[in-house]
Amino acid sequence: MQYVAGIDPHRTSTGLSNRKMVMWAFLGSDVLFFGTLIGTHMVYRGAGAGPREELLDIPITSISTFVLLMSSLAMVLALAAIQRGNLGSFRLWTAATATLGMVFIGFQMYEFTVFAHEGLTPRSNIFGTTFLVMTGFHGAHVTVGILWLWSLFFASFKGKVRQATSLDVEVAGLYWHFVDIVWIVIFGVVYLIGAYGAEAVEGATHAAARLGLG
Amino acid sequence: MAHEHATHAPAEHHPGPGLYVRIGITLVVLTALEVAVFYFDFPQIVMTLILLALSTAKFVLVVGYFMHLKFDDSRFMWLFVFPLVVMAAIGIALLALFYHFTG
Repeated sequence: MQYVAGIDPHRTSTGLSNRKMVMWAFLGSDVLFFGTLIGTHMVYRGAGAGPREELLDIPITSISTFVLLMSSLAMVLALAAIQRGNLGSFRLWTAATATLGMVFIGFQMYEFTVFAHEGLTPRSNIFGTTFLVMTGFHGAHVTVGILWLWSLFFASFKGKVRQATSLDVEVAGLYWHFVDIVWIVIFGVVYLIGAYGAEAVEGATHAAARLGLG
Repeated sequence: MAHEHATHAPAEHHPGPGLYVRIGITLVVLTALEVAVFYFDFPQIVMTLILLALSTAKFVLVVGYFMHLKFDDSRFMWLFVFPLVVMAAIGIALLALFYHFTG
């Protein structure tokens, strides 16, 4: 069987790579997962007493957003490098992607620490519960991506990552870009719109009180 | 056959590093615009619409170019877009219902 760069060698009834198909199906299911978390947060974001949107640090989060966007750029450059058979460039951009991801996680740990010092925990109010669960799950996804990228980086030294197997990198890249687009939505909707419109969600407080969620 | 064409030579149809870098710069500019809009004193509805438009533009750029959905087989796109549309519809309905019944 002829092995073409970036192509899954296994013939499928659809004519498409089964690994890419599985990854896109997983990402589709993850859209529903994160959509649920973001939707729940948006509905209840103004509910309950205690620290809420005023703790969101927009300048710091803007920097971490920039870091994650640059990691996505590095990821796609790593894929372009391996598709052209440039192993050295692939290693450079993959290491850059994983490192930027680790920096992003560092920002998130800093944010969570500040929140905890200010009294915002998953137990403090429903804002804390929905916000920390949502961003925590995103952070967990980023962490899995970091481990995946480092495994590709080290596998490249054993000859397991090369131009003929660039589909492995492409599938990892799809996952990494997905965590980036989830953050694009969280940053725009939860941080910017949420922090700006905090005073406009008083209705949520009344509703949560009615439901005993305050 | 269109599907075969897309399946058997995707790497050749992907853009090069030059376009990726331009997309990356555009993403940074859009993010800077988002943050700038946040600090302007717009009416909330105006600011919300601008921020949603900017977030959507960033989302489409990453999915279309970095994830290659613009260049790959359309079946991959539907696998991703269908749950996205379902989720957006559920979210809008939930928010509308919530605010309708809570004032």
